[in-house]
Amino acid sequence: MIKELKRYPDASVNVNAGPIRGFGEKYQELVQDLIDTATYHKLNALSAIQIGEAYQLFIIKEKDEYKPYANARIIRQSKPFKSTEECIYFFNKPITVDRYQELSIVHDTKDGSVTKTINNKEEASTFARMVDWTFNTSLVDRLKPADKNLVIKALASGGHMPNINDEICPTNSKKDYFISVADKLMFFMAISLFLPLFNISKDTLSSWYSYDKFAISAVIALIIGFFFYAQYEAKKYKQCTSCQIGNQIGIIIIRSAILFILGILSYFILN
Amino acid sequence: MARLVVMGGGVAGHTTATFAKKWLGNDHEVVVVTPNSNWNWIPSNIWVGVGEMKKEEVVFPLAPVYAKAGIDYRQAKAVSIHPEGKEGSDKPFITIEYTGQGKEGQTEEIEYDYLVNATGPKLNFDATPGLGDGNGQIGPNTVSVCTADHAVHAYSELMNIFEKAKTEKQKILIGTGHGMCTCQGAAFEYIFNIEHEAKKAGVRDNLEIKWISNESFLGDFGMGGLHMKVGGYVVSSKLFAESLYAERGIEWLIGAHVNKIEEGKLEYELLDGTIGEEEFDFAMLIPPFSGVGLKAYDKTGEDITDKIFAANGFMKVDADYTPKPYEEWKADDWPRKYQNPDYSNIFAAGIAFAPPHLISKPAKSPNGTPINPTPPRTGMPSGIIGKAVAHSICNLIKDGENAHIHEASMAEMGAACVASAGKGVFSGQAAAMTVYPVVPDFDKYPGTGRDTDYTFGEIGLAGHWIKHILHFLFIYKAKLKPGWTLIPE
Repeated sequence: MIKELKRYPDASVNVNAGPIRGFGEKYQELVQDLIDTATYHKLNALSAIQIGEAYQLFIIKEKDEYKPYANARIIRQSKPFKSTEECIYFFNKPITVDRYQELSIVHDTKDGSVTKTINNKEEASTFARMVDWTFNTSLVDRLKPADKNLVIKALASGGHMPNINDEICPTNSKKDYFISVADKLMFFMAISLFLPLFNISKDTLSSWYSYDKFAISAVIALIIGFFFYAQYEAKKYKQCTSCQIGNQIGIIIIRSAILFILGILSYFILN
Repeated sequence: MARLVVMGGGVAGHTTATFAKKWLGNDHEVVVVTPNSNWNWIPSNIWVGVGEMKKEEVVFPLAPVYAKAGIDYRQAKAVSIHPEGKEGSDKPFITIEYTGQGKEGQTEEIEYDYLVNATGPKLNFDATPGLGDGNGQIGPNTVSVCTADHAVHAYSELMNIFEKAKTEKQKILIGTGHGMCTCQGAAFEYIFNIEHEAKKAGVRDNLEIKWISNESFLGDFGMGGLHMKVGGYVVSSKLFAESLYAERGIEWLIGAHVNKIEEGKLEYELLDGTIGEEEFDFAMLIPPFSGVGLKAYDKTGEDITDKIFAANGFMKVDADYTPKPYEEWKADDWPRKYQNPDYSNIFAAGIAFAPPHLISKPAKSPNGTPINPTPPRTGMPSGIIGKAVAHSICNLIKDGENAHIHEASMAEMGAACVASAGKGVFSGQAAAMTVYPVVPDFDKYPGTGRDTDYTFGEIGLAGHWIKHILHFLFIYKAKLKPGWTLIPE
């Protein structure tokens, strides 16, 4: 029977699948459902969890025929490589993950445990992806946390999938330090505007006005520094939403406007 | 006045004896027979093994605690059970051989009305050639953290390795020393604590650290895996463990049965039939468990050990021991009352009872070697079972044969486990895990056999604090300090 395929963001796939305990009628039915569904959707592999059955079972197309694998375990793996894969759960959007070319696998059949070795990148990728499904692990789960966040954002917005072979934008970009320091300088500028309310001596107010003049120069320098460093990061990290020029200009305009207002107020209040 | 004799003073035996004495008061007698003079909080041994705790912090003398509680303490090992008494007497008894109290080597018969076998496991080092010394003790090739003394020795050897690692490369191998081991959690804790300490000591770069285990996948933990909450995402314990090992630069070998150990080298067989060798400078390998080797005799003196004990030396209780294929295993196979079917006044608690079968899916290599974790029955389940047995025996003593017998099936019981991945007030890390039920119930929870809402884990600094708090809490409870009964098992 053709079953409905689970698609992102259906969270029902996020469960540990249970082991196949017997190879009777129920097992045969499940294998047939997987074959029917995979055939209908023209898939080369399909796991039981992808049709909502939480069992450690999947099928893989080998020589035009689907072969079932129950309770499969990867016992040894070697020769790592970057594998760009697609999965129907993520609407066949390519995602690049770390895989191994050589695998030694054991899986169960009705006649007992069987060993299988693979030394082929494509076959190994498919096998590892299917084994991952049986352990509540999707392609996206194989990514580093920062990459995973980016891919999930892209999936949520229906946008382009990032290529994680590019250097990924770090969560805390160094360019943010420029703005952080500028914000702190302007915060104290803002504080200084309230000092005349507290009966403070003229000398002290004069000192604070000097600070404000220094801060204006420093913030302008920091904003310029921010602009150029942001350009550098935009080239370095290709997948970086905060590196877009629009974001940078927006940040510069906002900070410049605040600095301008604070500078004017400082001139009239403290000078 | 009835007499309850408890063989063993570990988590299960101590719990049974102390609760039974509290509930029975001075109207009845409670005797504890244990070869050890100290009580050991075993989960903290891994910290002794890396020098983060002293032996004295994880053990305390039993004699003053039992004296305060009014429990008759015999520092002796139980040798045999005579459930029908002997010629001329129907009174059942056990024979013991003293290991302390100034009576070393002396034997004695102790009569009982009720008997609890809570002898725990024999650390079966000799199951793997080279892991043991041939006399049942740990051999010279590896170390262990199974007892406090083992952990002290492990720390001393580890320091030698750290010293050598200042100038040359060293290889550390941690895991299980046989295909049928349990307690992967202790080895998991030890490997990550070693890695943590190596970084602190500035020798990590010169250490190759490798994991070798009988689990068929990383993160099995002897219970078929679970969910972990990591960085706001829910992932499988397999992915969690693989990521953790990769982040810490620890390689792994899984599905491994260690079949021979020599000085600096071991041989293994993998689930896929591969035979291989690993060299090492330091290895901590958990041994498999077996029963402690108690014998049993009937009234005529005929050996009835096979009647009372299973082949692995653990005591038969009210479980279904009929051999069945994996697909026919049921939650109901597991015992509920822990009462021996032939002698209803004998109970077994903790590791000492014979499980009906494995918990994890059974697996064999193509050569027919069984390689799979055996059922974990340590810690929380041991304490819960010990308390249930104490309840049952107290009821039997007070209300007679028709008294209510308490039940504590591992197929209806949850368990919590906190596995340290490094000790430190701010730099510590531990994985806190809960499993419900311990034994999968495939009828009630189709698929995994467990309630996924309660089979969960999380790693972080808070987990480390919990483990450290539990260390103090359980030692406080075991010392029977005020309010000890309020602290759960």
